Amino acid sequence: MPAGDTCRNMISRGLIFLLLLLPACTERGGILRIKGSDTEVNLSVLLCEAFYEKNPEMRISVSGGGTGLGIAALMNNLADIANASRPINGEESTLLANAGLPIDTFLFAWDALAFVVHQDLPVDTLSIEQLAAIFSGNSDNWSKLGLPAKPITIYGRQNNSGTHGYLRQRLGIVFSSAAREMNGNAQIIESVKQDASGIGYVGAGYVVQEGKLTGTGYKILHIKEGQAPASSPVRVESVTTGSYPFRRPLYQYIRREAREKAAPLLEFQRSAKGAAIIRANGYFPYQDTLS
Amino acid sequence: MNAKNRNRYDRLATWFFGINGWMGIAILLGIFAMLVYNTIAFFARVSPMDFITNTQWNPGAEGPQGLYGLLPLLISTLLVTFGAMILAVPIGIGTAVFISEYTNPRVKNILKPAVEMLAAIPSVVIGFLGIVIIGPGIAGTFGLSNGLNAMNGAILLAMMALPTIITVAEDALHAVPADLKEASYGLGAGKWTTLYRVAIPAARPGIIAGIMLGMGRAIGETMTVLMATGNALSFPSGFFDSVRTITATIAIELGEVPHQTTHYYGLFALALVLFLITLAINSIADRISHRIRQYH
Repeated sequence: MPAGDTCRNMISRGLIFLLLLLPACTERGGILRIKGSDTEVNLSVLLCEAFYEKNPEMRISVSGGGTGLGIAALMNNLADIANASRPINGEESTLLANAGLPIDTFLFAWDALAFVVHQDLPVDTLSIEQLAAIFSGNSDNWSKLGLPAKPITIYGRQNNSGTHGYLRQRLGIVFSSAAREMNGNAQIIESVKQDASGIGYVGAGYVVQEGKLTGTGYKILHIKEGQAPASSPVRVESVTTGSYPFRRPLYQYIRREAREKAAPLLEFQRSAKGAAIIRANGYFPYQDTLS
Repeated sequence: MNAKNRNRYDRLATWFFGINGWMGIAILLGIFAMLVYNTIAFFARVSPMDFITNTQWNPGAEGPQGLYGLLPLLISTLLVTFGAMILAVPIGIGTAVFISEYTNPRVKNILKPAVEMLAAIPSVVIGFLGIVIIGPGIAGTFGLSNGLNAMNGAILLAMMALPTIITVAEDALHAVPADLKEASYGLGAGKWTTLYRVAIPAARPGIIAGIMLGMGRAIGETMTVLMATGNALSFPSGFFDSVRTITATIAIELGEVPHQTTHYYGLFALALVLFLITLAINSIADRISHRIRQYH
């Protein structure tokens, strides 16, 4: 699949001499093509694999590349489903509407955002206001929070990722331009483990599995909003009931023409088996958040 | 084989090699045209003056439009590259002089391929070294909370530029005619004087070409700086600051950017700037290295 994509993209950019490769990209019918968010791609692959075992007649391809890429692929008829870790934005929905492509929204799962610090940092709980001060760069030293003076270094995702955008919106801040932008969750965790005064944010599924941390050397902060007791994404219930303040929906956008083709997969993702897979990977299925 | 067939084969071969020959240029022009086309689309939305003078790159900024300033990215790229050159040029020339003048052929036969092997290390491996060894090393040495900064990138890029500098400079030193050096010895000059006053000046165009090619490599390097320099958007003020190079910006943002938007076209404008810089460096290096040959 990646080879086919590359060559189609390039042709669309005017490199016509690559026409020779075209036969490799013409196959289209009978395949369900899913593309988009890197946050969702692993989970999406696992769900599709489980689905394929029961429905071997259906051919599915899943690839990442980012939410923006997935939605652009919908527009260019290179994907049937776009995984999106953020809601589709105004500019994109205008472009889709202009192209005459209606889409449907599917709530894929919920994801919680975890804030991680070095295990020796003498802090366990932060309030939303303190987080906003840290991530906007107003508090650039732990001394402003009454701790021993050490510069705060922020480790996060790139400024146009869905995760970054969600955090920015949720805290209502202009993000500090001194924030380090790391290349993926693993690097954020690695940096926080090495930096005794850093703070990072990652998808909870990456650091928590079945109520336990997946690694050592770091800890997950409890977050306090208003008068409510502080809660942490380590406890599954605090996410499913919504008492943990940082949970966000992950979406799938489906081209309406492909809706029928995609229906069995979507149904499977909502089934008990699908929910079990979602849970096992540290995400939260739609059903669990209903109560 | 009769004459008619032979002619046919010759014509076929002419075509075949002709297509191969022009392919390189066609690809180059195709890429250039694509960059220019998208950059024009960008400048239709953001004025070139803003692009050049704005001191912030933040396409996701609040407000009607993001901030598209080339300056912090360009400064970051130059900071890391020149830092790398400060380290790589003396070491590179020193190694080249050692291989070419001070060692016997047996050591040379081991050393030269070893240096060339250095070029074969994938950039992601070098970036990895930056995260697990050099970064923490810098943090420990200078008492910083972390080592993801311009200096880390500069050290790693120096490692990557070294093979190019050494190989090209050594070739240039090796090509200095023996009679020049022998004439110097004949006048009573020592080894150091001969090296300093005769061999290096005669090889200078080649050495400079090697440095330029190494610099071209450092400027275009993506994965290593992306992994090792922290990629903060703030305007860098020194080697201990985190920097975000042009290459890293394109690599980071292209994956998530909505297509056919200002931001998307802006990344092509960055790519065009990078393309023009490396094109300029490579053509200067090429012109200088041609100058060597006119002595022979």
